[in-house]
This record gives sequence, C-alpha cells and structure tokens, in this order.
Amino acid sequence: MKITKKELKGSSHKIKWIKKDSTQAVLMLTPMLIGFILFTYVPILYILRYALYESNGFKESFVGLENFVRVFTRDTSYWSSLLNTIILTFGKLAVEIPLALLLAVLLNKGRKGTGFFRVTLFLPTVISAAIAGLIFSLMFASFNGTVNGLLQSAGFIERPISWFSYKGTALFVIGFASVWNNFGINMIFFLMALQSVPKELYECSDLDGVNPIQRFFKITLPMIGPTFQVVLLNAIVGSLKMADLILSTTNGQPGGRTEVVMTYVFKYFFGYDGRQIEVGYASSMALVTAVILAMISFVYMRSSSKLGKSY
Amino acid sequence: MQRRKVKKISGDIVLYLVLGVIFIITVFPVFYSFMGSFKSNMELLTNGNKIIPSIFVVDNYKQAWELANFQKYTSNSLFLSFFIVVGTIITSTIAGYVFERGHFRGKNLIFAMVISSMFVSLGSLTLYPQLMIAKVFGINTSLWGVIIIRVMGMNVTNLFVTRSYIRTLSTEIDESAKVDGCTFFRIYTSIIFPLLKPLIATLAILEFRFAWNDYLMPMVFTLSNPDRMPLVVGIMNLKGSGAAASSWNLMLAGTSIAIIPMIIVYMIFNRYFIQGLTAGAVKG
Repeated sequence: MKITKKELKGSSHKIKWIKKDSTQAVLMLTPMLIGFILFTYVPILYILRYALYESNGFKESFVGLENFVRVFTRDTSYWSSLLNTIILTFGKLAVEIPLALLLAVLLNKGRKGTGFFRVTLFLPTVISAAIAGLIFSLMFASFNGTVNGLLQSAGFIERPISWFSYKGTALFVIGFASVWNNFGINMIFFLMALQSVPKELYECSDLDGVNPIQRFFKITLPMIGPTFQVVLLNAIVGSLKMADLILSTTNGQPGGRTEVVMTYVFKYFFGYDGRQIEVGYASSMALVTAVILAMISFVYMRSSSKLGKSY
Repeated sequence: MQRRKVKKISGDIVLYLVLGVIFIITVFPVFYSFMGSFKSNMELLTNGNKIIPSIFVVDNYKQAWELANFQKYTSNSLFLSFFIVVGTIITSTIAGYVFERGHFRGKNLIFAMVISSMFVSLGSLTLYPQLMIAKVFGINTSLWGVIIIRVMGMNVTNLFVTRSYIRTLSTEIDESAKVDGCTFFRIYTSIIFPLLKPLIATLAILEFRFAWNDYLMPMVFTLSNPDRMPLVVGIMNLKGSGAAASSWNLMLAGTSIAIIPMIIVYMIFNRYFIQGLTAGAVKG
C-alpha cells in the first residue's frame, strides 16, 4: 500500500530523489573502490606482466616464458619449499584440528572452570605469529633453551638437541609453534558449533544406550559437519600462507631447507637475506603458487562437500 | 547408581587432567618469555633453561625503552593501530551500508568483483607490487602507506559482517527518515552508524589485534626508515641484526611490551574478540 501511495505522489519527483540517493551511494563507495582496485587488482596485473620480464627493480627486459621454464625445470629449491609448506600444513593440522575438537568437546560439558579455560586457552591466538616464533626459538635454543634443560633434567636426553640444525626437528618446532598460536580459534569455532547441537538428540541416544564414542561419531560429528568444513578450509588456507613464523624462527635455515613457499618467493621480490632482487622471476613464482594454492582449495572444497551437507 | 557416580568422577578427573596439561603448555611460553625479560643477557645465554631469573633485572625495560628505541616503536604501533582501527570502522560500515541499502547501476557487479578477490590467495606475494604502487604516491616509506592500504583495501570479511548486520536492522526507520527528506548519506551518519555500536566494538577489537600484530607489511614499508617501525618489526629487526646474541634481554623486554597490552585488551574485551572472530568466519 505504501508504495502505491508514494507512486501516486508523482513518479518524476521520486525518480529525481532516487537518482540523488544513488549518486550519494556511489560517491560514498568511490574512495574504497579506488583503493581496492589500486591495491588488490593492480598488483595482480603487475605480477601478470612482470612474470614475463626479467627485472632487478631498475632495469627490465622482456623474456617471454623463460621465467616459467626456470620455475618448472631448474629451480628445485622452489619445489622443495612448496613441499615443506604442504608437509607443515598437513602435519600441523593433523594435530591442531583434533586437539581443538577435543578441547571443544571437553569445554562443552559445562563443568566448573570452563570459562577460565576458554579464556586462557585462547590466549596464544592474540599474540603475533612473529612474536610466537621468537618465543619458541628461544625456548628451543640448543644450549640455553628451557626445553633442552627440562628434557635433560628429566633424564630423557643426555646432550642438548640442536633443534634448528636439522630439517626434521626444525619443522617440528615450527609446527609446534604454529599449533600453539592457532588452536584456540579453531577450538572456539567448534565450541560454537557444539553449542548449537540440540540437546534432545543426546537425550534420545542416552535412552537408546549409545556409548560416548559412538555418540561422538554418529551424532556430534555429523551435526557440526558444515562448521568443520569451513574451519578446516580456513585453517588450510591460513597455513599455506604461513610466512611470519618461518622468518622469525629458522628464516629458512639450515641452508634454505626449512623455507616455505611464501618466504622463498618473498625473498626474491625484496632481495631479503642477501639475495638478489629478481622481480620478474618472483612474479612468475607468485603466479605458479597462486594457481597451486587455488587448486588445493578447490580439491578440498570438492572432496569435503559431503561434510558440509551431512545433515 | 554407585557405579555411575564413580564413572562420572573418574571422567571428571581425566577432563581436568587434559585441560590442565594443555593449560600449562598454553601459558608456559608466555610466562617463560615474561620471566626471561627480567634476566640479564649473561644469564639468558648461559643459564637460560632456568625459568625464574636468579636476579630480577628491571633495567632491561629501561634499556629497551630508552636505548633500543622501544619508546618510538610503541608510539608507532599505537599510531598505526589507531588509524587502522578508526579508518576501517568507517570504511567497512560505509561499504556494508552502501552494498546493503544503496541502489545504483552495477552494484552487483562491483560486489562480485570485491568478493572474488577472496579467492585469489596471493597473501604476502602482492606486497612488492603494493609497495611499488605506494611509491608512485610517495607513501612507501611511512606507516601511512600501510594505513591507506589496510583502510581502503576493502576487507571482505568486515564487509560481509557489516552487511549482514545491517540487513537485520529494520528498514522502516530509514524509510520514514527518507520521507522526512533525509539523504542517503544523512541516514548513514545519523541512523545506521549509531545502531551499529555493538558491531563496531567487535570490528575495533579485531582490527586492533590485526594491526598491532602485523609484521610483513609494516616491515616492508619501514625498511628504509627504522624510526617508523612498529613494535613487532622493531623486535624482529633486533633479532636479524648482527647484535642478536647480545640483545636477547632487550628483545624479550620488547616482546613483553608488545604482548602485554594485547593480553590486557583481550582479557577486558574477550567476549567481543570471540564474537568477532566467529562472526567473520561463519558468515564470511
């Protein structure tokens, strides 16, 4: 009714009015739109262009697909950094996600002190990844680190372990630091999902004499399936993009063997760490990386779609 | 009945045991680095495996604050975080409002363009081109570059959250304001923005955490201008410098200066923190 009344008032007046409003809307959005295009889309175009050039930031020359040939045929370090990224991501998530889920289930029981644990277990999540890396590299330092000290005094090891001298142990420390830094947020997501599961379901299953383990796999997990799918996607994408933590712990040492893909490419862009600036080559690696990461997310979404629709 | 009770109690013991162990692992690194910040450098290098310092050296903080530039780093961090928080609140709410309530040609196309940027996950790989673009405008050696990129960059998560929040507000108020001759912009400033208060608290907390903890972008923008480094960058810079071994005490004092404000803010506003992070992930 309202609309017809207004329309009766005179449509030409209304059109003018709407026009003024939409001009204002456009004007309000324009600054952000410029910023967005400038700092989100233009960089992508920039990378697309420079992938075909050789450039040290000052001089540049067109080289066609040469950069890509180099990535795919000659640069084994790039691929091993990509492999490290994947190992780290899935290795740490294999601990982080079950841990977060376990804690969420425990906190969801609503025993005394739940609030306290919910607040404190989330604490590491508010700390910067770079700082987390710094703290862990001190804790795991070979001669003066507390971890070696504790292990020695407990009698588990005789001599201090040089955590950062071997690829395996270094990746373990990085993974540990990353789990520490991130499990809290996943725990909270799971807790939210658990709280939305109707209580009646559990009561019914109690009457039917279902044991807790069956209950978890047959009721809880399917009910939180959609959240699980999103949380896992966020965790995978976030871990694949990990960079700060590596720079603040090993910085790729020893000998570049703990480099992840983001730090590896980053160093070529900026000539960081004594490397030469190779913008063109870095751009082509960035493109290859973006495509691979997109493929991983796509495969994940495809294969996990059952999880999202489980109830 | 008896057996059930016993089972329940033993279940509770396991529960508290697991929570307790995880609690110790969670809190220990923070506690350890906080205690470490009171150790002399000598003790850190030779006897760092002891948790409690043998002598509490408060001078570390004084040295870090005065000699190692942490006074500057802290004020830079505050500066950076303040402008990013305020700026993002304004741009996110405007963007959410315009996309939800505005009508103009091409709106859906622009929205799709913004959303699709979410799927291009280049992460820190676009930092170099961003820096080069900032150079064109002469903002590549100050924190203003970071602020402008973060504020104007249209954060997709924030956009989603504000947009869906505005959707829940009744349109009746702004309909009647329109009839009274309120313009589109006036409706935002005098009706919508004040109604967004609960959401703004959440956005502010989220952005504060992000800006205060950010490392790579501010680092890149202050490479040639160490006086403008924020805290995290300053601490990492100390680690990367040749004097790293001799400045662990300063680094740890700096670490405490960087994380304690964050922890206090979190303890006070933890409800908003959790609300904000979950709203972002579930709806975004």
